[in-house]
Amino acid sequence: MIKKIKASMGEKILFIFLILLAITSFVFFYTIKNKCLFIDKIDLKKINFPNKSNIVIMNVECGMVIIELLPNLSPNSVERFKFFVSNGDYDGSSFYRVIKNTLLQAGDLEFGNIENIDYFKVGSGKSKLGPINSEIDSQFEFNAGSVGLVRGDEFNTEDSEFFILLKNVPLFKGEYTPIGKVIYGLDALTKIKSSDKTEYVLRPDFLSDLKLLEQYN
Amino acid sequence: MRILFILLIVFQSNSLKADEINYLLKIPNLKTFSLNNENGIKYLIAKKNFKIGVQNNISCDKLEKKNLDNKFSLIKRNLDLYDNIFLKKINLRFIVLCQNLYISKINTAGIPDLKKRTLILDLEFNEKYFERVIHHEVFHLIQGSFPEIFNEEAWSNLNKKGFKYADCSTCTDKLGLDIYKNTDGFLTEYSKTIPSEDMAEVYSFYVTDKENLEKIKKIDPIIFKKAEYIETKIKKINNL
Repeated sequence: MIKKIKASMGEKILFIFLILLAITSFVFFYTIKNKCLFIDKIDLKKINFPNKSNIVIMNVECGMVIIELLPNLSPNSVERFKFFVSNGDYDGSSFYRVIKNTLLQAGDLEFGNIENIDYFKVGSGKSKLGPINSEIDSQFEFNAGSVGLVRGDEFNTEDSEFFILLKNVPLFKGEYTPIGKVIYGLDALTKIKSSDKTEYVLRPDFLSDLKLLEQYN
Repeated sequence: MRILFILLIVFQSNSLKADEINYLLKIPNLKTFSLNNENGIKYLIAKKNFKIGVQNNISCDKLEKKNLDNKFSLIKRNLDLYDNIFLKKINLRFIVLCQNLYISKINTAGIPDLKKRTLILDLEFNEKYFERVIHHEVFHLIQGSFPEIFNEEAWSNLNKKGFKYADCSTCTDKLGLDIYKNTDGFLTEYSKTIPSEDMAEVYSFYVTDKENLEKIKKIDPIIFKKAEYIETKIKKINNL
């Protein structure tokens, strides 16, 4: 004969606690896994852009990023950037260099694209157009959302690569060519993959596409 | 290939922490100290020891607060002598302050980097002549920016016939910075190392101790010619 043993009150509480813990862990796991969960979606139809020809739209994993270009500050650099954008040259470009919560770098057309990424050479790639002169505006404040052209150690070495700041960096004032500002969607960029210890990212995130607003349907 | 890239990242992660200053200057472990200066100079300080250069041959230690407190106003006062236009011409924008600066295990007062428009200064180097040393190091940027103006051969010809400089500034133990009682064409022992150090020494006196230099010029014809050479060339740069 099998004797039925009743669970004590303590055992019942422990059982309920374990079930709640399992549910919480399950929900938490899926919440954490979805890194884009709290990123607001942008509806282009609801935004009234004063100058549509200077708006570019970047799509990344967590959403849309809208950048207003600044041709008044850097006419040649903006023209160059728009040329690459309109050609779709940046589509699939990797954010191979990321300083956590500070800066994202992308735009190596030769070695940094999803189709041709070369971990040894990324960052050293050149476009077919060659370098252009820096257009430094000594008054431009490099704040969160500022977009600038990447250069080598020296000025006048800018080409296709660009960076986007995630925080204010006063030190960059007068050091880089500013080409634009993120006006919507900076949150989506904070979710781009980074490393705590190094600025070069193994298996980096890619931007899906970068288009002029005029090209966008 | 991917394994090698991982190793590269692991190696790099051990040696430096990424931040915006390192992104710009390729010097890790710095923090900004003073950015809004009238002549555009931006001062950065070492918050930890750092190593840079080929095979990490340049090293400098974290700057102690007492050194910063004691020396910063003096450094700023001296660098404020240069205006924004001149600093642009000589490619000087960033001053990195640290202590115990070594290049290839040799202690040095400063290391100028023309490309990055940076001067690294050792705040513990030679208390007695620290102020003069600042301008000595600035001169290396001036000469580096205008090598065609500061012709080393022409400079060497100002010396007595038969005098020969050393092959390099550290190829000799003549490193003294005390001013000679009998100058005989050279202000200090260090002046005798190489032409660019000799020029830098004359320039540093020209900026910090002009009165004394004028006295020496009256009794030493070689120093007279050297000081005139420096003054003429600096005026030429100012007029560019």
